[in-house]
Amino acid sequence: MEHFELKVNGQNVRVEASGEMPLLWVLRDKLNLCGTKYGCGVGVCGSCVVLVGEFAARACMVPLKQVAGKSVLTIEGLSKTGDHPLQRAWMELDVPQCGYCQAGQIMAAAALLRRKPNPTDADIDAAMSDVICRCGTYDRIRSAIKLAAQGAPGSEEEVPA
Amino acid sequence: MSLESVSRRDVLRVAAVAGTGLVLGCRLASPDSHARNLSHGEAQDGPVFEPNAWLKVLPNDDVVIVVARPDIGQGTRTSMAMIVAEELGVDWRKVKVEQAVADRKYGPMGVGGSASVRGSYAPLRRAGAAAREMLVAAAAAKWGVEASACRAENGVVLSGDNKLAFAALAADAAKLPVPANPTLKDPAAFTIIGKRTSRVDNRDVVTGRAVFGLDVRAVKAFRAAILRPRCFTGRISEFDDTEARKVEGVRDVFQLGTGVVVIGDTTHAAFEGRKRLKTTENPGPAGKVTSASIREAMRAAIQPWPEAPEGKVVEATFELPFLAHAPMEPQNCTVWIHDGVCEIWAPTQVPDSLLGQAARAAEVAPDKVTIHVPLIGGGFGRRLVSDFAMEAIEIAKRVGDPVQLVWSRDDDTRHDYYRPASHHALRAVLDASGKPIHWRHQYIQAGGRTNAGPYRAESLDYGFGSVEARGGSVATPVPTGAWRSVGHSHTGFVYEAFVDELATAAGQDPVAFRLAHIEDPRLRKALELCAEKANWGSKLPNGRGRGVACFADYGSYCVHIVEATMTKGGVKVNRVVSTVDCGIAINPGGVEQQILGGTVDGLSCALRAEITIENGGVVESSYRDFEWFRMKDAPRHEIHRIESRESPGGMGEVGVPGAPAALANAIFAATGTRYRNLPIRLA
Repeated sequence: MEHFELKVNGQNVRVEASGEMPLLWVLRDKLNLCGTKYGCGVGVCGSCVVLVGEFAARACMVPLKQVAGKSVLTIEGLSKTGDHPLQRAWMELDVPQCGYCQAGQIMAAAALLRRKPNPTDADIDAAMSDVICRCGTYDRIRSAIKLAAQGAPGSEEEVPA
Repeated sequence: MSLESVSRRDVLRVAAVAGTGLVLGCRLASPDSHARNLSHGEAQDGPVFEPNAWLKVLPNDDVVIVVARPDIGQGTRTSMAMIVAEELGVDWRKVKVEQAVADRKYGPMGVGGSASVRGSYAPLRRAGAAAREMLVAAAAAKWGVEASACRAENGVVLSGDNKLAFAALAADAAKLPVPANPTLKDPAAFTIIGKRTSRVDNRDVVTGRAVFGLDVRAVKAFRAAILRPRCFTGRISEFDDTEARKVEGVRDVFQLGTGVVVIGDTTHAAFEGRKRLKTTENPGPAGKVTSASIREAMRAAIQPWPEAPEGKVVEATFELPFLAHAPMEPQNCTVWIHDGVCEIWAPTQVPDSLLGQAARAAEVAPDKVTIHVPLIGGGFGRRLVSDFAMEAIEIAKRVGDPVQLVWSRDDDTRHDYYRPASHHALRAVLDASGKPIHWRHQYIQAGGRTNAGPYRAESLDYGFGSVEARGGSVATPVPTGAWRSVGHSHTGFVYEAFVDELATAAGQDPVAFRLAHIEDPRLRKALELCAEKANWGSKLPNGRGRGVACFADYGSYCVHIVEATMTKGGVKVNRVVSTVDCGIAINPGGVEQQILGGTVDGLSCALRAEITIENGGVVESSYRDFEWFRMKDAPRHEIHRIESRESPGGMGEVGVPGAPAALANAIFAATGTRYRNLPIRLA
């Protein structure tokens, strides 16, 4: 069987799987990192957003072979203790309802804040409209992103080497 | 086929414990951190005070509150536990919530009809109060004082200088009889109920540790995918699995019912194998049915109006489409049948009714079925039907090892139990003063399920004189079911849009017209407050309109005022102001969440969502074509809750029905055009 080496949440991992297997299923079924969710598998819902390097990517659309040698950050690796500014803001404003999409929302927001530490409403619309929340928590997500941007410096974030 | 189960021992132990009905019967071998701590923590080493099914005081002073109703996003795991904790008199920070394994001892476990809080409020209060009285009685006996001289708060019983923690009293309390009619707290003394409280699962959700159905890894399971016929009456008549079996990780392929199952080591393998099946589908008798043919049949079923009384006659027809539930987490179920027991992890809205169904399907005794309920990625009524669990059981029987059935998004969109499409004809007559004296409503729904139609037609919230509604259905092959707010998802729009037309016909302001006819003081107050908060009547920029809609049911009231602007591309919803009166709010933050989410649902239905039938099956396959509101669409939303001492009302659905009407009324205010068919397609 083929095998690939990549870095997930700062740790080197070796995965034996077809290079065509989407990163989503590598994470969920091979590495048992289930925080990254399956919502559509066709790149339209955003529940599986992770960071590949510095950028948000939909894990369902990224084949394993494409992330060989790269760094992947998932919700499990965003912070050691759940105290990333976005995670704290999400809890502070009680954003989640069913909670299923929220890992994708938070990871998309994390990518946004890396590019734009003080995003405008238009920035938030542009960056976050790829991630559907079927419970309709958008208004609170918007507020939580702003709260994280204001109140909490990005330096507390765990950045995988 | 064989499989090494990494945690087989764990599961067997748990199944055995569950079967004996011991105190620890509710412990799950799940990756959930709370459950794991309980299974391996001090709980087993000291006395556990468990006066009823709902709570346990552990030797380490933690209080475990068991929540029987599944959490599909409506917040039961928080609100139910708050009710027990309030009466018990415990420190909320010491509460750990445990999801009940399906068991008839909990009574109704289903979540639907906005009934969880309404149905559980009284029994959960009694459960908490009974335990509190037992702990107090134990303390009183120890100190030689009257129970009335003691009080329980924050997990301790106090009397004068005496003070003991619940855990220290648990062993004595457990020997006392359970009081049948404990004294409940005066709501004025509530310290937990009514306090804005964060969801108990928030930390697990934001760190990715929360375990939803698809995340169940308690057993190492094969993955299963099903290739289903595209047509509702279809059947896969032939298949060639040569290429499917060549896919790395595919273990088996077999026919099941009308479809074909692919078993894989991973979800990817099962999906890839399915993609490579060559199949022939026999579409069956309904292979030509289309949305248009269903719409024509509904229109044809409307009867001509009899003669109307004298006055100004207003008539209109409305059409609503089929809708999918489209929860973010596709249907799935993990099942392991072994040694005469059937273990199920099911994201279901009805764990108790699934028990019997599962026992029959698995061919094991009912007491040998264990149903674990994980967190659930949205329900909206979809998971009231347990079709996915029945499929998973059939597959597990065949496979013999643990199996996780995973529906793709395509499966979930095309094999739902849809909100029925409907057609409505309305006629009203106004007297010379503009008061409606005659209201008639004919409705035809596509699909035969009894609970899927407009069911509140006779109980308008207005004193409109003679009011009548009658309905029927046309048969279709489209499976239908309950969809968030059920009949109100039709009539909430139709009625409030038509009432707006009557206001226009009467030459009156939409808010003033409603206030002139609404009698219920709670609804009047909600409307008046909403108008005030939304600055009703103030001038808006050009191209922007403001619309109102009222709704009352489930013991709750909700009014929406929507501001919307006509843009080049369509409609932009700028602002929503809502008022809600739900009686006593268990968790005010949770109440607001339900209005926020329900409104997004209603607005999505108004502008985006539609399921289309072609050739006897569903056209849409994902959120790409079954569209829902996204961040760019979502308005700023102000929610004002009215304080009340009335019994708690239901909240899961009350935010949905009025939203599309308020939007359509806002579009009318902006453009002068009435849009009566959903989703709204601008001319």
